[in-house]
Amino acid sequence: MTGGFLESWLGGAVLTSTPIFYAALGETIVEKAGLINLGVEGTMLVGASVSFAVASSTGSVAAGLLGGMVAGGLFNLLLGPLVIGWRANQLASGLALMFFGMGLSAFYGKPFVGSSLDGLRSFPVPWLSSLPFIGSILFKQDLLVYLMIPAAAGVWYLLSRTAWGLHLRAVGEDRLVAYAAGSRTGLLRHQALFLGGILAGVAGAHLSLAIAHTWTEGLTAGRGFIAVSLVIFAAWSPLRILPGALLFGGTLALQIQLQARGAQVSPFLLDMLPYLVTLVVLVLLRNSSRGRMPEGLKEVFESPREGK
Amino acid sequence: MAEAQKGWWLGWGASSVSLALSLVSALVLFSVLLVTNGKNPLDTYASIFGSTLGNGFGFSEIFVKMIPILFTAIAVALPARLGLVNVGGEGQLQLGALVAAAAALAAGTGTPSWVGIPITLVAGMVGGALWALVPAILRAKGWLNETISTLLLNYVAIRVVDYFVFGPLRDPSTSNVPQTTKFADGFLWPAFAGRIHLGIVFALVALVLFAVVINRTRWGYEIRAAGSNPLAARRHGLPVTAYVLLVLCAGGAIAGLAGTGEIMAIQGRLRPGFSPSYGYLGFLVAWLAGHRPLRILIMGFLVALIATGGDSLQIDQGLPSSTVSILMALILFMVLADAWRPDRLQDRIQAWLSAKKRGSA
Amino acid sequence: MLRKTVFLAATLFCLAFAVPWVSADTIVGVLHLGPINDAGYNQASHEGIEVLKQNIPGLKVLEAENVPETADAERVMEQMISKGATIIIAQSFGYLDPALNVAKKYPKVTFLHAAGYKLAPNLGTFWGNNFEAMYLAGIAAGAASKSGKLGFITAFPIPNILASINAFELGAKTVNPKVTTTVTYNNSFVDPVKEAAAVNALGDAGVDVITMIVDSPITVVKTAEARGIATVGFHSAALKQFAPKGWLTGVAYTWGDLYTKEVKAIIAGTWKSSHVRGGIESGYLTLADFGPSVSAETKARIAKAKADIIAGKLVIFQGPLKDNNGNIVIPEGKAGGIELLDTTNWLVEGVIGQAK
Repeated sequence: MTGGFLESWLGGAVLTSTPIFYAALGETIVEKAGLINLGVEGTMLVGASVSFAVASSTGSVAAGLLGGMVAGGLFNLLLGPLVIGWRANQLASGLALMFFGMGLSAFYGKPFVGSSLDGLRSFPVPWLSSLPFIGSILFKQDLLVYLMIPAAAGVWYLLSRTAWGLHLRAVGEDRLVAYAAGSRTGLLRHQALFLGGILAGVAGAHLSLAIAHTWTEGLTAGRGFIAVSLVIFAAWSPLRILPGALLFGGTLALQIQLQARGAQVSPFLLDMLPYLVTLVVLVLLRNSSRGRMPEGLKEVFESPREGK
Repeated sequence: MAEAQKGWWLGWGASSVSLALSLVSALVLFSVLLVTNGKNPLDTYASIFGSTLGNGFGFSEIFVKMIPILFTAIAVALPARLGLVNVGGEGQLQLGALVAAAAALAAGTGTPSWVGIPITLVAGMVGGALWALVPAILRAKGWLNETISTLLLNYVAIRVVDYFVFGPLRDPSTSNVPQTTKFADGFLWPAFAGRIHLGIVFALVALVLFAVVINRTRWGYEIRAAGSNPLAARRHGLPVTAYVLLVLCAGGAIAGLAGTGEIMAIQGRLRPGFSPSYGYLGFLVAWLAGHRPLRILIMGFLVALIATGGDSLQIDQGLPSSTVSILMALILFMVLADAWRPDRLQDRIQAWLSAKKRGSA
Repeated sequence: MLRKTVFLAATLFCLAFAVPWVSADTIVGVLHLGPINDAGYNQASHEGIEVLKQNIPGLKVLEAENVPETADAERVMEQMISKGATIIIAQSFGYLDPALNVAKKYPKVTFLHAAGYKLAPNLGTFWGNNFEAMYLAGIAAGAASKSGKLGFITAFPIPNILASINAFELGAKTVNPKVTTTVTYNNSFVDPVKEAAAVNALGDAGVDVITMIVDSPITVVKTAEARGIATVGFHSAALKQFAPKGWLTGVAYTWGDLYTKEVKAIIAGTWKSSHVRGGIESGYLTLADFGPSVSAETKARIAKAKADIIAGKLVIFQGPLKDNNGNIVIPEGKAGGIELLDTTNWLVEGVIGQAK
């Protein structure tokens, strides 16, 4: 059962980065459409609580996962009418969505606090898992971890090689032109929100079913906001989300590992690492993300108009 | 539309009615939740409003909560006029509190109030401003958007405070519990009605200053100009970079006062976790208010009211504490959606008034 | 006519004095830091309140959960008082200053605070001495560990937690003098994701028995069970069901008797403000049932140690004791007692981790 430091750390990093990965992947789709959802935290919480509740009540993890995905998708959609129909400010609306998700998940999840599930178990991939070193890091995880690379590839394909993706990106760059060209901008953006919500729901489900094996209020502990940062980090490219998530997950895992191996560093300083490292790397990689922000998003950040 | 000049009060009236209607619709939506959980909505609302508006202490508590929210809202609104998004209020208030605490502890117990309180003010502003400095520089250089940098630094700030409170600033006499020594009386901000303290004076002064500067001075004019068209502003020679640094650091300084007030007036010492998300609540208030000073006052009051009234949901009605977040979110949705279109409302009222005039003529 | 009136008056007079120990609707307000069904600290408190309600019929209780340790706590207390509460039980350390502030305003209301270190005429504190029970649990852990490595997952390095860690290690050492306890801090009393990561990291480092002080220990227990790591629970005996194979024992708070004693004294008017502290003999804490793998020999050892502690024959923190940096913290001939709950700022030799 014992493993070397490196093995243990990297294995932990992969597991920890999974929820952040899915949430960030979902948010990438949303932001490519020119929207920003600061409320991903709320969507993740809804996904986590619903998937746990469904899995608890039905005894089926698959049903739980499905429930979390659907709930996440529907919840994320709430941003649509607010931000698209009523043209409310996106940043504040996202925060409002976060409060809503926090409250709803806590409210409906209450009967499930203090209970536990086996949930999503890890299983070894035959043959690959007996490879030295990388065997235990990469191939003794749960289903959602294994699906990370296919998911990233799938979203990349969707965004860059399908007609739908093309239309979506056009909407994110210049809504007026896209509209003139015949794209149904409102529908497309709602679809992006739904898809993004499904992925955020998966992220939440992984937290409650695979990592924590329980539900408590506020399970996500700020990971939704980290996911939003990661999208910028990855310069809105689905393929870059994975390394970004691993970086963050890696530093999160490092903190615990160092303590478990008796390192003489203050736990508070260690705890700051993930955020500081993300900040530093973002600054170092600034040139590669410059110029990649969807034009539609720029509006949201660069001109918070008076009144609206 | 010559009729539109009818009176500024018409716009005002329409806005207020619209706000009121938004509130009512949120309450109606919330009633659905209440009814499905076996509660009588009228009962519930009576206890929320009764415990806050109908009760002397409860009413004063709204203002107690409003003080830090006003500070953090200005911290968001000022940079927003330049087009910057400061999500770092939470971290800036933590650092403001930390530096103010350190100053109070270093300056010693004999300090009289007229020296002590200004020390806390200066220290708090310095702490908050410093925490906003790095994001400001990163943004000014065009290296990193301030939305992300301020957000990430919020998480770092909490741990920085933890480090000091568990370490160098820990009070040795209170049995090694993670908190600082109690501040000497000379630094504490006095309260005068219930727990409403001196901070309310500072907050209102800050709000007035914000209003005056942004609307009536040349700096304010230039900031607003640069905010709506940065390119043109630069071409005209406006020192946009300097303004970026200025507004973000000034915002940080004001947020720092939110933290300072909480520890100097309410807590009496610095402890981890003293802020129940005042930074984010301020962010919400600023955006709800469109970054305008008077509206910040109104929205600040509203948000503080809900946050305060929420306790009665638990104590009186036996609903879980999470219900407050749901109510808050519903109200926010309604207000953000501008669901009752004040401009259309205004038109309708005008049309009705003119019809009446014609009818009686 | 006169006889009837006198009789009636006399009856009423007697009735008025007949129930001296429950005044009409005594209302108790309770503040919890977290949710009351967390199978941990808050649930233990809530279960104690249920026992209180059973023991004193006619008592009305207002409970508030998730009350943060900020300015809000004062407001919640004030609201309960405005609803008629005459006794407030503040069940978390961070409520001390708010409670003291409110106590000053309402001298007729009595406040009971958990683990506080300051008193007021109408505010008293209470706590169970967790480290005595942790010592006994440590014996079970030391006996069960094959690798000689124990793990302790918690939130912050505060005195009463440090004292428990030390007692745990000392207890384990009586069985295996070379045993070590590795400590990890999560910087939060509630973060199931970090807790799971800690279990895995400790497991990878060779730990085979884990204990914890976090608010809701389910995640730790479950994750440990899945990895075949044995568990010593904390806060609530309800945890045993989550680790059918690996459960050794646990430390559970059972506040019911303490609450009952204090509240009865308050109602009777005999209550005086003090720091009520109880060790393993008081019943404020119990050692949970043993799991299937605990040997009879270990059980006997624990029983003897418990008896010795109660009799005063066994002193857990008997000097000389060194910390894990080699400094002497309790010199030869001296011993540390219950005050260590509030003063410990070191970790004993054999513990791997930081005390600051």
